[in-house]
Amino acid sequence: MDIVKGYEKEFEELVEIYEKNTNDKSLRSPGVATIIVSGNKVVGLNSVKGMHIKSKERADGLVMIDVEIEDNTIIPIPVHLCTGFLKKRGEQILKFNYIIGSNVKVKFKSHCILTKVEKLHHYMESDMYIGKNSFVTYEDEHFHDEGGGVFVETITRMKIDEGSFFSSKFYETKTRVGRINVVMDIELLKDAKADLESKIYGREDDIIDIKEVLRLNGENSSGIAKSTVFATDRTNAHVVNEAYGNAPYARGHIECNEIVKGNSVEVSTLPLLKVMNDKAELTHEASVGRINQVQLETLMAKGLTEEEAAEFIVNGLLS
Amino acid sequence: MLELRDIKYSKGDNEIIKGINMKFEEGNVYCIIGNNGVGKSTIGYIIMGLSDYRPSQGNIFLDGKDITELSLTERAKSGISLLWQEPARFDGITVENYLKLNRDMKKEEIEETLKLVNLEPSRYMRRYVDKKLSGGERKKVELASCILLKPKYVIMDEPDSGIDIMSLDMIVKVINHFKKMGSAVIVITHRKEIAINCGYSYLICAGKVFLDGESKKIVSYYEKTCDNCGHVNYLEEE
Repeated sequence: MDIVKGYEKEFEELVEIYEKNTNDKSLRSPGVATIIVSGNKVVGLNSVKGMHIKSKERADGLVMIDVEIEDNTIIPIPVHLCTGFLKKRGEQILKFNYIIGSNVKVKFKSHCILTKVEKLHHYMESDMYIGKNSFVTYEDEHFHDEGGGVFVETITRMKIDEGSFFSSKFYETKTRVGRINVVMDIELLKDAKADLESKIYGREDDIIDIKEVLRLNGENSSGIAKSTVFATDRTNAHVVNEAYGNAPYARGHIECNEIVKGNSVEVSTLPLLKVMNDKAELTHEASVGRINQVQLETLMAKGLTEEEAAEFIVNGLLS
Repeated sequence: MLELRDIKYSKGDNEIIKGINMKFEEGNVYCIIGNNGVGKSTIGYIIMGLSDYRPSQGNIFLDGKDITELSLTERAKSGISLLWQEPARFDGITVENYLKLNRDMKKEEIEETLKLVNLEPSRYMRRYVDKKLSGGERKKVELASCILLKPKYVIMDEPDSGIDIMSLDMIVKVINHFKKMGSAVIVITHRKEIAINCGYSYLICAGKVFLDGESKKIVSYYEKTCDNCGHVNYLEEE
């Protein structure tokens, strides 16, 4: 692991917070590819065979990170992307550019540690190209400060080439959201598959915006985009799921479940399906409302109180 | 003993249950039999205390104590349990966690129970209780859940629905398991093969107990009479 001189303390602090929140001790391991960013500085980098990481910090505070994975590379241990902010206030702007070759197998684990801030704007823009017949998974978990002063914007654009599979999980369920805006826009070529899942737990006056777009441009491409939001207190949540069936035998499914608790919650969902080829097939499911009564009564008939039953159901949905 | 005294239940202007009396004693197996739409499941829901199934008249007694006003949770804690005809699905909850239900429970006990309902533990413990389970698999998980609750009174609403014919023997085995545990089993069914294994039956017709007595006799009457009955069941619920 290359730790930038003078930033050892920040590196240690971020790793400690991560380990405390996840019980995962693998970040320091030399066999694990890792990118650790603190504020507007890349403080730790570790690469593995077949993977190349370059970073650049601009004077205006923008951090640019290029990740390239060679064709036919299999990375058996997840690649860790850890972004944190240890000052009380500020702005963190990150630009990731991924080029993933053909026949690659890799799993990314991203963690965003923003637990010590009062007011922060965290902006992360990512472009990812996945070559042919590759298998890529991306898990993004956020830990925010309980004061609600974090504003996270994460914009991802992707192109998935022929025969490849991509799955993404975005979770912000363990800590307060603050304000979050998640955008995922994915183009799928022939025989490509994508599986997107977002789960967010809104508390107090959190603001949640999710937009997931599947562009099924290749023949026989398929994708699922599923969002689950548990909105409590005065949470304001808006989810947009879009799917475009532009090629023969393209199949897309979008699903949004927003569970509300309390009378001051404001939630909405907007599905958009557009078919441009008569052999494409798109479906959607959406539900907005309180916890399903039959599920509640099923558990209450086993002795749980209504509160316990609701917690049990929500924990499952957000797990 | 669980006792229903003069229970009536209405939905809007429609009286669905019209004054029924029933008694269930621990360690015995009972059957509530009747054609579709006569109010069999409604009786089960009234006993369990589901929110939309509060009786408009009459009382329910458990060991001499009036439980008519007890909530669903309180009735469950008193030892009443319901095997749902079509159990709900739960995203993100594994079979193991669903069966544990926040309780301390030995893994071996869960595994043994899954085996009892013909589910191989290694294949099912980590699966989710969601829509990826087939109707039959979900029903078997619910059976396992009921067994692990160790109820004093278990209402089994159409226990064989959604389950393959090969598993009918398993249902009978589970009923006998409950009986051995000392539970009162209340089986709601219209299947002769299930009803015949019960000790005492209540034949329901249009919201009333039409006949009750030893199961063989009631089932025989039901087969001969009710199958071809021109009587119109005007209850469209269930």
